[in-house]
Amino acid sequence: MASSATLATNSTRAGAASPETALRGRAADSDAGRPLLDVRGVTIQYKTQAHLITATYRVSFNVLQGDRFVVLGPSGCGKSTLLKAVGGYLAPTEGEIKLKGELITKPGPDRIMVFQEFDQLLPWKTVFENVMFPLKTTGRLHGKAAQERAMHYIEKVKLIEFAHSYPHTLSGGMKQRVAIARGMAMEPDILLMDEPFAALDALTRTRMQDELLSLWDEIRFTVLFVTHSIPEAIKLGSRILLLSPHPGQVKAEINSVPRGQEHSDEAAALGREIHKMLFADQIEEAPHASAG
Amino acid sequence: MLQPVERPNIYCETLGPDQFGIIEKPLTLVEQIYNQVWLRKIAILVFLALGWEIYGRWLDNPLLVPPFSDAVRALYTDVANGIIPQRALSSIQVLLVGFASGTLLAGLLTVFAISSRIGTDFLDTMTAMFNPLPAIALLPLALIWFGLGAGSLIFVLIHSVMWAVSLNMLAGFRGVSMTTRMVGRNYNLTGLRFVWKILIPAAFPNILAGLKIGWAFAWRTLIAAELVFGVSSGHGGLGWYIFESKNQLNIAEVFAGLLTIILIGLAVENIIFRFIEKRTVQRWGMQT
Repeated sequence: MASSATLATNSTRAGAASPETALRGRAADSDAGRPLLDVRGVTIQYKTQAHLITATYRVSFNVLQGDRFVVLGPSGCGKSTLLKAVGGYLAPTEGEIKLKGELITKPGPDRIMVFQEFDQLLPWKTVFENVMFPLKTTGRLHGKAAQERAMHYIEKVKLIEFAHSYPHTLSGGMKQRVAIARGMAMEPDILLMDEPFAALDALTRTRMQDELLSLWDEIRFTVLFVTHSIPEAIKLGSRILLLSPHPGQVKAEINSVPRGQEHSDEAAALGREIHKMLFADQIEEAPHASAG
Repeated sequence: MLQPVERPNIYCETLGPDQFGIIEKPLTLVEQIYNQVWLRKIAILVFLALGWEIYGRWLDNPLLVPPFSDAVRALYTDVANGIIPQRALSSIQVLLVGFASGTLLAGLLTVFAISSRIGTDFLDTMTAMFNPLPAIALLPLALIWFGLGAGSLIFVLIHSVMWAVSLNMLAGFRGVSMTTRMVGRNYNLTGLRFVWKILIPAAFPNILAGLKIGWAFAWRTLIAAELVFGVSSGHGGLGWYIFESKNQLNIAEVFAGLLTIILIGLAVENIIFRFIEKRTVQRWGMQT
């Protein structure tokens, strides 16, 4: 029984490479222009005290303009590391990451990162000053223009009455909304979100997801979103990249269900499929372990 | 086998918030008074002063411990005739120069320390060597190098301030969270702009603690230095005032001098540093 499961996964895996590339070829053809973000064969390694750890191995994917691209995987699949590399905080050991055809070498305001941690807001600045801070420091906007832009996006995340409050007086969900507003006010080419809702309670998280989607309906920004939650990936993503753990390798790149159908039967089936793919490793590993 | 008890679903109507009156109970007057920090502190001070007064009167030896009232009278007389204000001013001038330059040097040293590994090692080694060294021990050398004047005093003041402040600054900079740093780098902040816009505000609680310690060290060093070699550049400071009064066996004036030092220290701590704290770290929620 176990060995047949191994065979099955192996065969799907072996077969996966060619249809996947074919698929990507088609996507590129239909889209005419080049992808916004091009991640090609990226291997990331980092050193700890005693080990050299490979976080991701030859990961490739393309993000197109207006995508809600979700990177999904269990903990230890290097998805956050991958996002940091796109952010320019880490250099890949192999492969390259290009944004609009230009190689990413360092952090920059064309890719704004929204972190999971609440201390991403500068505690010495009010909500309004926090949103305005990157606009001013990067010299993108000054004076009245910066103020108006900041207020516009604070209004978008429904925090007008808290514009002049300091972050420590806000709840976790409100802090994340400020961070999102700050990111969007910069109108970056791509918004990078590193499990931004993971530290929130379940009810707040659901509301934040809905708000993010309605913001997307309005502005159609491009977002690269990292999560370990299958329902979140299905709900938020337009396209989902599935990574396997230790090291992170691409398992699949699939379309999610259409916007607003996260409770449909299709979504449930997709969820089961993703679940199966993520757990296939464990079925596969078991016989190996007993053999070795 | 136990059958599960059949239970119906229960639905309730809840009252809107407008249906509730505001429920609050005022504290009693005693509780309200006790809740005032300054009142509690003043009570402690009054208690100490009373103890001193009673002991002084009981001892009845103004050469050892004059009563509190004598010390206050001496303080009042010498404040009124301008001696203490003049001495205090002369001390504070030297102190401010020394404190400001010490802090500035500490800032430069710390920025150097965080921007390179050799800088960190340099600061580590220097603080390990010089922080335990009492500033007063350098005074004889300072006198030879800079002569009998404000120069030597400022030199020892810088020494006493610099290491304490830079140790705290470095600890503060190191404690800035990775996320905060990454946010700064995301907006293309590098070098001195990064230090100024991200590191210094983020490390401000530590920096402020360092400044407080530095201030206290500077005060102590200055008074001690004045006690040891007295006059600097023609007019003495508070330390010299204490020394002089002791020589003339005006013990009440000695206490008046000590009281002045305490009062200035209290004022700086409770007015200036409190003000800065309220406007910064407390407002930012970095300190409760």
